[in-house]
Amino acid sequence: MTAMETPAAMRVIAKTVKWLFLIVLTVLTLVPLLWLLLSSFKTTPELFRGPFSLPAHWSFANFSGALDAQPLVDYFRNSVVIAVTSTAMTIVMSTMAAYALRHRFRLRGAVNGFLMSGLFVPFTAFMTPIFYLVFHLGLYNTVWGIALVYTGTTLPVGFLIIKGYLETIPEDLLEAARIDGASFHSVFFRIVCPLVVPGLATAAIFLSISAWNELLFANLLSTSTSSETLQVGIRNFLTSYAANYPEAFAGTVMAMAPTILAYALLSNRVVESMAATGLK
Amino acid sequence: MVKARQLVVYLGPAVVFALAFIVFPLIFVIVLSFTQWAGIGPAKYIGIQNYTYLFKDPAFRSAIYNTLLWVAAGIFVQTPLCLLTALIISRRPFMWKFFRTALFIPSVVSTTILALMWYFMLDPTVGLVNGTLNSVGLKSLTRTWLSDPSTAQWAIMVPFVIYIGFGMVLFLTQISTIPRELLEAAHLDGANVWQQDFFITIPAIRRAIALWILFLVGYVLKMFEYPFVMTDGGPVNVTMNLPLYVYNQMVTANAYGLAMAAGVVTVVLGALLMLVVLLGLRWMESR
Repeated sequence: MTAMETPAAMRVIAKTVKWLFLIVLTVLTLVPLLWLLLSSFKTTPELFRGPFSLPAHWSFANFSGALDAQPLVDYFRNSVVIAVTSTAMTIVMSTMAAYALRHRFRLRGAVNGFLMSGLFVPFTAFMTPIFYLVFHLGLYNTVWGIALVYTGTTLPVGFLIIKGYLETIPEDLLEAARIDGASFHSVFFRIVCPLVVPGLATAAIFLSISAWNELLFANLLSTSTSSETLQVGIRNFLTSYAANYPEAFAGTVMAMAPTILAYALLSNRVVESMAATGLK
Repeated sequence: MVKARQLVVYLGPAVVFALAFIVFPLIFVIVLSFTQWAGIGPAKYIGIQNYTYLFKDPAFRSAIYNTLLWVAAGIFVQTPLCLLTALIISRRPFMWKFFRTALFIPSVVSTTILALMWYFMLDPTVGLVNGTLNSVGLKSLTRTWLSDPSTAQWAIMVPFVIYIGFGMVLFLTQISTIPRELLEAAHLDGANVWQQDFFITIPAIRRAIALWILFLVGYVLKMFEYPFVMTDGGPVNVTMNLPLYVYNQMVTANAYGLAMAAGVVTVVLGALLMLVVLLGLRWMESR
């Protein structure tokens, strides 16, 4: 059946269904976010008046209240330190390993498979051994302990992404450099590193978002403000301030603002980095 | 030509991390799953008692059931939604960039925050869901969604199922690699949009779909935030899942041996599910 033979009525229905589907899905995605934003400006009585009523005064009282109630700034700082540290470590180690694996040697396949095997491991099953590892390294309740764990758990996917980029460098280029007398290290620093920087930036976006968003290990490995991340801290609005909903809403809005802003600024890069996670 | 010393320097850090975070934990959980251990002091060998206890524990059975339910929901509800959206948006309809951007937003927000947001959404008194039902005169449909055993499990699955941005973007990337001439030729041969989608686009990206499902299995096996934040596994364990079960046994009950046994079951279940997906992929590719 060609497009022309399709009865006009059928096409209208198909078109309507298509748009209905897109719009419903988009509404389901956006409305909760907008509702939360709207509610974060309301007072408690206004909140009980109905979900769509507008606040009488647009003030940031809930936001400053939330900042007073919880040390959000500390949580934010911890999250940044952890995300930056673990992303940097994962990227450095993955790039080095991926470079080494561009060379032929006896255990190459085995090492490659071993580094990839983590992709199939649900790390949540390992929470006890990982807890003891961090504890015995003296890193319990520190941002470094959490950063270390994120490095370990994101290494497989970081390696996968970066290896993909390294494989796009033509062998001829490396061979030419070697013939010119460049050593193993200088090929890495002078040729490979500059060429993979765009790829590393993409990997960094994905890895830092993963680290920023993690809850389980952050929750398991910290009990004090000095190391709790935003994801751990934001839950305190639920447990200790259940009575003050508007403040909890404002806290939640502030917690999601950084990644949404980053996405607004870098939307294409973020989308690309997500798409780069191996499904190539 | 390559010196062993150079390889050790470059591979060393990554290999050490993989040993510390994969091999060591795997041995640790397997060995201790056969013991009774409170986290400190000596562990007592008790054979397979932890495993027999697990399969009799209703909370653990609920955890297994829910994990499988989420995998099924991911494969049979979320994945088709991702695919359908990607197929629609790939034809660049009116405002397609807006839809792509909007649908992707939840993928950059942490699951913890999304869970918290949906906890508020489903709040019986101030939540948007009951608020909307009340304002359109459907008061009879309002529920205490998260504390009602008949709705809690479905309620915490809602954000998981409707946030399709990540899968959509992955499929869109794949669809963009299909040569345009292929679809144009099909169009000239008289294939309509549906036929092009079903006979060209979907088969062309089947590998990406299988890999997406593989990713989904891993995601579900690591899923902790939705049950932990929204219901803490309750009411009466109806929303319990494997990571939360391990967490509760370890942190709340101090039953480390039991937590380890549940961890081993998680790893084995994950391996089995992924094997099924990989075999399915191989079967599809061989046809």
